This record gives sequence, C-alpha cells and structure tokens, in this order.
Amino acid sequence: MPSTQTPPLAGAAVDPPSLRPPIEDAAIERVEPAQLHARLEALHGEGWTMLLDLGAADYPQRTPRFDVVYHLLKLPSQPRSAEQLGAPQRMRVLCGVDAADPHLPTVSDLWKAADWAEREVYDLFGILFDGHPDLRRIQMPHTWEGYPLRKDYPLRGPARERSPRPAFALKSNVQAGTPPSGETLAALQEQEKERERDT
Amino acid sequence: MSLSTTPLTPEVVSLEGNSMVLSMGPQHPSTHGVLQLVLEIEGESVVRADPEIGYLHTGIEKTAENLFWSQAQTVIERMDYLAPESNSLCYVLGVERLLGITDRIPKRAERIRVLFSELTRIASHCVWLGTHSLDLGAMSVFFYTFDLRENILDLQEAVGGARMHPNYLRVGGCNGDLPEGFLDKFDTLLQKFPGRMRDLRGLLQANPIFQDRTIGIARLSLEDAISWGVTGPSLRASGLAYDVRRAFPYTGYEGYEFDVPTRTEGDAYARFLVRLDEMEQAHRILTQVRTQLEEPGPVMIADTKVAAPPKETIALSMEALIHHFKIVSEGFRVPPGDVYQAVESPRGELGYYIVSDGGNRPYRVRTRPPSLYNLQAIKGIAPGNLIADLVVSIGSLDPVFGEVDR
Repeated sequence: MPSTQTPPLAGAAVDPPSLRPPIEDAAIERVEPAQLHARLEALHGEGWTMLLDLGAADYPQRTPRFDVVYHLLKLPSQPRSAEQLGAPQRMRVLCGVDAADPHLPTVSDLWKAADWAEREVYDLFGILFDGHPDLRRIQMPHTWEGYPLRKDYPLRGPARERSPRPAFALKSNVQAGTPPSGETLAALQEQEKERERDT
Repeated sequence: MSLSTTPLTPEVVSLEGNSMVLSMGPQHPSTHGVLQLVLEIEGESVVRADPEIGYLHTGIEKTAENLFWSQAQTVIERMDYLAPESNSLCYVLGVERLLGITDRIPKRAERIRVLFSELTRIASHCVWLGTHSLDLGAMSVFFYTFDLRENILDLQEAVGGARMHPNYLRVGGCNGDLPEGFLDKFDTLLQKFPGRMRDLRGLLQANPIFQDRTIGIARLSLEDAISWGVTGPSLRASGLAYDVRRAFPYTGYEGYEFDVPTRTEGDAYARFLVRLDEMEQAHRILTQVRTQLEEPGPVMIADTKVAAPPKETIALSMEALIHHFKIVSEGFRVPPGDVYQAVESPRGELGYYIVSDGGNRPYRVRTRPPSLYNLQAIKGIAPGNLIADLVVSIGSLDPVFGEVDR
C-alpha cells in the first residue's frame, strides 16, 4: 500500500560531494564501474591491504544515481610497534552506479571484509554485486520488499487501520449527552439485554 | 550445488557427508545479544559457521537522515550502547570538520572529550571482561567489573543526567562544564582503579582453567585479520599496532603519552591481555587529563551560528534571543560536502562517512561499525573449533549488536 509519508525529492541535493574541495588529507578517486575491479585490484597490490569500509549513498536527482564508497587503508607489512607503523594512509574510492542497471563487480575476492558490506549495500540500496558468493539480505528480513536507505523509500508504513471501539465500553465512558453510535451502541444494547436476562 | 556458496539449510546439508545443522541463538546467553549462528557440525566440531545478523536492526542511519544534526546524535549514541561517548565523539568530530570549526574547539572541551572517551573504554572493557569470563564459568569477575563500571556510569550521570546515554558531547564542545563534586568522584575512581586491576588480573591471568579455555583458541592470523577488516584490540592481539589515536590523531590525542599494547599470538588469551593492558593505558591517559582539568576555560565554541548562546544572555540581548530560537527551532546548517571521520572505539576503528547537502539535517550518515567487521571474522575462526570454543571466539571478539545491526 503506498504511504503518504514518501519524502519529497524536489529540493534534494544533486551531488553534495562535488560541491566542495575535499576537506581531508585522504586521497580521493572516482572510478567508472567498468574499471572498478581492475583499479581496486591494482590498489590492493600496491599495499592498500585493508578495506576499511564499503558503503553507499543515494542522490536521486543525479545520473548516475548511487555512489558506492570504498575506504581503503594502506599498511606497511608486519610492523610490530606503533612507531614502526609510521603514518598509515587512507583513501576513498567512489564509484557511480546507474539506477537503471545497478550492477558492480564484487571485491570480496580481494578483501574478505567486503562480503557482509556488499550484502548490506544490496540489502539497503538494491545494488547488485556480480560474482558475490552469497548475495542475500542481511539486515532486513529475507522476505522484505524495497530498499530502505534509498531516498524515495517511505519513512513510515501504511496508515494503520482504525481499531474498532472496544465492545466493553461502559456507559460512564461515553460523554453525558452524546448519543452512542455504531459498535458502542451495539455493545451497550448487548449489555442491557444480558442484564435483563440475568434479572 | 556447491556447499560453500549456498545458505545453510537442512536440505542442503543432508545432501552430503555426516554433518548436521545446528542453529545457535538468537536467544542464547553466550551470543551477547541477538546473534544467530547457523552451524554445520560434525560431532562436536564446527565445519562451517554462518552468522545471521539483523535481529536488532532499527534503521538508525535512516532515522538520522530525518533529524536535525544535533538530534541525530541522540540516536547515533545508541549504536554502540556500551561506549556511547565514542559514537558521539566520532560523529561530532565529523560534523565539526564539515563546519570547518575543528581548530576553534576550546582546549578544555577537548580534554573533557578525551576524558570520557577513555572512561567509556574502561567501562566497555569492564562489560566485556565480566561477560566473557562469565561465559567461561568465572562468576566473581563479573561483580568486580560491574562495580567498577558503575562508578563510571555515575560520572556519566553527573554530567548528562543519564547513566547509559548522557549525550554530553556537542558539536562545538560539551554541554556545560563538569559539575561540582565531579572531580572528587573522578579522583576516587582513579585511586581505586590500579587495585581493582590487580584483583582482576589475579583472578584470571594465571588461572589454569581460564588459560586452558583461551590459549590457542580462536586463533586469527594477521593476514586474515587484515583481510577481514578486523581492527582494535583484536587486530593488535594478532600483531599489528594499528591504533587510530596514533595513526590519525584527533581531539588532542597526540599530546598524551600512552603505549599501544600488542601481542603476536592472535588467540583469545592474547586479546584478553591486550584489552587488560589497554585499560591500564586508559588509566594512564586519564591521569594526564586529570592534571590538565585544573585549568579552567570555556567548554563550548563561541559561535552563535553553531552553539546556542549562554542562557543568561537571552534576557539581555536581542541577538542572543534570536540565535537561541533559531538553534532550538531549526538547528544549524552545515555546508555541503562529505567527510570520513574515525576514532578508536573500544572495539576498533569506528568511522562515519557523513554527507551534507547544506541543510539542517544530515544527508547521509554511513557508519563503519567495528563490531560488524570483527564479527564477520567468525566465519574464518570457527571452522575446526569445538562448539564450546565458539562461545570463547564470540566473546573474545567483543561484538555489540546495537552497532552490528544498527
């Protein structure tokens, strides 16, 4: 059932990340879906050994509509103390995904961490990761319809049906002078009948 | 049909081998919340484990998108409910960077942030230690740790009015200075702590039963840990000294002396030792903060576009009244852009990828929950272990399900 609580999209942002130069020291890179896997594989080989996070954001007014965001961490191999660790680096890779064809290659073959992260993006945004070993919903129930973190997803479910007035409504609960109606009236009449039957 | 790529169901497993499927949880005391593990077992040993999460999914990220920047903090603090200040600190730092006010946060506010960030680390490790040892049959540890945690919750209550979720840190500083009598309670805690740590170590560290249950159990190699994205004490117990406080210092952590304890064994006992060492390092930082707190100063940024002006000025100044009204009724606006901010929470690297579209509500708050990535590693740890050791594995990774499921 359509909900009345669908958020308005008219004033929504077109592409906030592009509106301002980056405000952090991490390297930021934008990659096309076709080159994504090759680029991330190259980065993985260059020492970006940890996939910190894989998330997504939805910009309905923009083409491509979704951004899938990868945060990578570069670690020197086998440091034993915090001093040896030096200054690790972070990197952000963004990849635009079109709403008409929301497919991306999986990176769970490069980083095991991508397994659940990709399932979550699929679950909440409906982006499919080709080659993922076990792509099914993770947070929402398996029978759920729709993708909750999309911006056009309703904020509330359908309006609840009005519950009937309780049949045990007493005369004292009805305001003085208000003629009872509907089920309340029926319930009151039932009560009267029962009382007559008892006496 | 390949067994490794399909969801575990009785039909699938009965097709091959002598294994059977056992569902553990979600209502199982040792799963520390609502975790369901679908296990494929042969006799007593686990062949494959498939954790099912999402039982505590409450849509916090979606909710946050529809609240003011300052209101969103209240739901975000409820993600990792054992370390509320880590969550709000990370979020607040991210928003401050988007606002461009990071350099103007008062020194005293930063010290108070460090204070609560470390207090919450001790409190969180206390819960972990108490419940973890309870899983292993050591009852008394629980009472010692929860007593210590209770003192920390008292401090949270003193500043925020609530024990679990004080919502004390604010964008631009903290909500008011430390109340009267706070430092006395804090001093008592600082003095009590070393003795209490000796007790805890005495109860467990050389305990043969505890050692039998944890040494060599739930081993996680460094390569696997990095590949699974494991951070925090669990990563440091596998040999990598990665700590966000050192690698990407924030809120003045570069000015404190502390060690990053590491072990190389990567088993449950190593994680236990690393966490105990971490509690002592947290105490070391707290001692340094204590001397700095003698110095008075403002705790909130003097920028009326972000922080409401002091209450006393409202009756005297027209502008103060207007600013107060605007901040309360429609919140502050944040310039558009995106930022990734991370802090070292008790469980590992907690990160927020925050996008603003220039409005008074966050456009997107993506969380990097350390528990989710740490828990995922159970798929690599569990196979080959006994079911009884699975309880140790989960406990030693210390997942919090408010954060895993959000």
